[in-house]
Amino acid sequence: MAKLELHDIRKTFGEVDVLKGISLTVEDGEFAAFVGPSGCGKSTLLRLICGLDEITSGQMAIDGEIVNDVPASRRGLAMVFQSYALYPHMTVADNMGYALRLAGTPKPEIRQRVENAARILRIDPYLDRKPRQLSGGQRQRVAIGRAIVREPRIFLFDEPLSNLDAALRVDMRIEIARMKERLGTTMVYVTHDQIEAMTLADKIVVMNAGRVEQVGSPLELYNRPANRFVAGFIGSPRMNFLAVSGVTPEGQMVVPGGRIGLARRIPGTAAEAGVRPEHLRLDRPGTEGSLSGRVVMTEHLGSDTYAYVQLDGSEQPILVRLSGERLVRREEPVGVVVDPETVHIFGSDANTLLSAQSTAREAA
Amino acid sequence: MALTEVNRPLELPVSPLANRRGLRAGQRRTGILLLLPAIAVFAVVILYPFLKALGLSLFRYTIEMTAPEFIGLGNFRTIATSGEVWNAFLVTAIYVLFTTVGTLVLGLGWALILNQPFRGRAVLRSFSLLPWVLPSTVSAFIWGWIFNARFGVLNAILLELGLIDYPQAWLSTPQGAMLAVVLTKIWLSIPLFMAFFLAGLQNLDREQVDAARIDGAGNWAVLRDHVLPHLRPVLIVVVVIGVIGNLQQFDTIFALTGGGPVRATTVLSIEVYKQAFEQWDIGFASAIGVLWVATLIAPAFFYLRMLVKGA
Repeated sequence: MAKLELHDIRKTFGEVDVLKGISLTVEDGEFAAFVGPSGCGKSTLLRLICGLDEITSGQMAIDGEIVNDVPASRRGLAMVFQSYALYPHMTVADNMGYALRLAGTPKPEIRQRVENAARILRIDPYLDRKPRQLSGGQRQRVAIGRAIVREPRIFLFDEPLSNLDAALRVDMRIEIARMKERLGTTMVYVTHDQIEAMTLADKIVVMNAGRVEQVGSPLELYNRPANRFVAGFIGSPRMNFLAVSGVTPEGQMVVPGGRIGLARRIPGTAAEAGVRPEHLRLDRPGTEGSLSGRVVMTEHLGSDTYAYVQLDGSEQPILVRLSGERLVRREEPVGVVVDPETVHIFGSDANTLLSAQSTAREAA
Repeated sequence: MALTEVNRPLELPVSPLANRRGLRAGQRRTGILLLLPAIAVFAVVILYPFLKALGLSLFRYTIEMTAPEFIGLGNFRTIATSGEVWNAFLVTAIYVLFTTVGTLVLGLGWALILNQPFRGRAVLRSFSLLPWVLPSTVSAFIWGWIFNARFGVLNAILLELGLIDYPQAWLSTPQGAMLAVVLTKIWLSIPLFMAFFLAGLQNLDREQVDAARIDGAGNWAVLRDHVLPHLRPVLIVVVVIGVIGNLQQFDTIFALTGGGPVRATTVLSIEVYKQAFEQWDIGFASAIGVLWVATLIAPAFFYLRMLVKGA
């Protein structure tokens, strides 16, 4: 168990600045998820934390000690790789016990700890097999088991579920959530899948282009995204953005297809209005206060129906999430009803948030 | 819809694009056809001379005879009691052991160095192939000069370092001559071995090594627990190829020492050459050759089995 502190961490590869000053703290026992698009630097940051790459500048501390120059082998961390990185020539038991063997742990103790971990992860029947004789899900369990057996100070996960099929991914997600409950160890989890981050993490760190865009709990990020990037990244399906071409004297934002009322005064000029698909409703065209458009495509997922509506005067369709029973025809003219309380308003300068959705919703 | 309807075969015409004898028709024939030239050359250049030698080993056939005389296993009986031939076997064993082990260790070490990222690596890798490019007799003469008693650079360096007090006549002593032929062969073989090892090292999963480091492995543990096990198949192939190549070695030894001093570096290939083209005892030379091939069969068999199994 350990607290992880990063202060102004920078990493450059030749001319390229991959990390441009990362500062954050992961508290003891906290589950922190780093999310961001590919190439945002999240995996690089993880490699710096575990000591596989050198920090260009900045300070990193584990449990109140600067560890910049402590080699990976002495940091006492465990990492689960996307590719699992199991040792192909060793049996499952040897894979899981390898770190203990290197540390000089007595053999009976190694065996006992490996067997315990294997039982928890339900891989005890495979202890004598080689990794290639296992399925993808089993290999993933071995990789996690190898990390558990060490009782590390911090667990690091590098996109551990990306190579699994959808059903297995959900199972393993639950498995990791249980492990977090049981072990209470500090965990750092890198993923590009925001659903994994939302469901698992106590704290989400949204990264983009080598910088931290926002740090917060899953609901904080969902309800009050700091900027347009976070608003677009967190939430599935992603938020719709409507260009605001002006504000009327009555205080309504002019957007494609009509106007949206302002829930409150905003401290600047609105450039874009963001509304999540789940906060939109469809009504008859011409309904009071609705945006007019027509349905260009629908997707029926069973539980939900997604309607893509092209608003009058806009090329880019917006997505409206409806209940699964709702039937919508293509080319049907509709009115999209927007509740002003659910609208996020972004200014033109650096896409900062001017107004988040109503706090009434957070209180509810 | 009734199930029976589904189970009935489709009564539809076959596509005109279909290959009438099945998808794989003709593959076997093409394979044999492609093999034919190689088989023909093998039969003429290797199989026929080998069978001929096998036959000759049962005859007495020297320069003064007009026709070979059948003596059964006479040549082999002579070999069994000939100290010289047994000595050639012993010399060959020593030579093969030292060259193979030496090349293995140095080739692996060099490959490990060249697998590290550093400036000038590509240039160094290219230069490392130089011994392979040079004709082996040229290499032998280069090493002959290095070991030369009066002008050799080896003596110069050792004298400079104070390790010897007066110049050594390396090629005139049995140990010195063996050292020279062994070192020459090692130097010649390192590029090939290194290329094998380097190829093997490059497909070692980087994340596997990363995982090992995080698990607490230092350099030695990474080498012992991950790099060497990963290279095991390469190692086996390289050892077998090395043993076969070293068992056959002729040109560098012949150019460097001619098998001497006395018989200190007379390996089987040199012995066969001497019997055949200095003593002109073709039958006896053939008999040694047959035994020599017999020693080659074991490693060759391993090698071929590995190739076939795709190990």
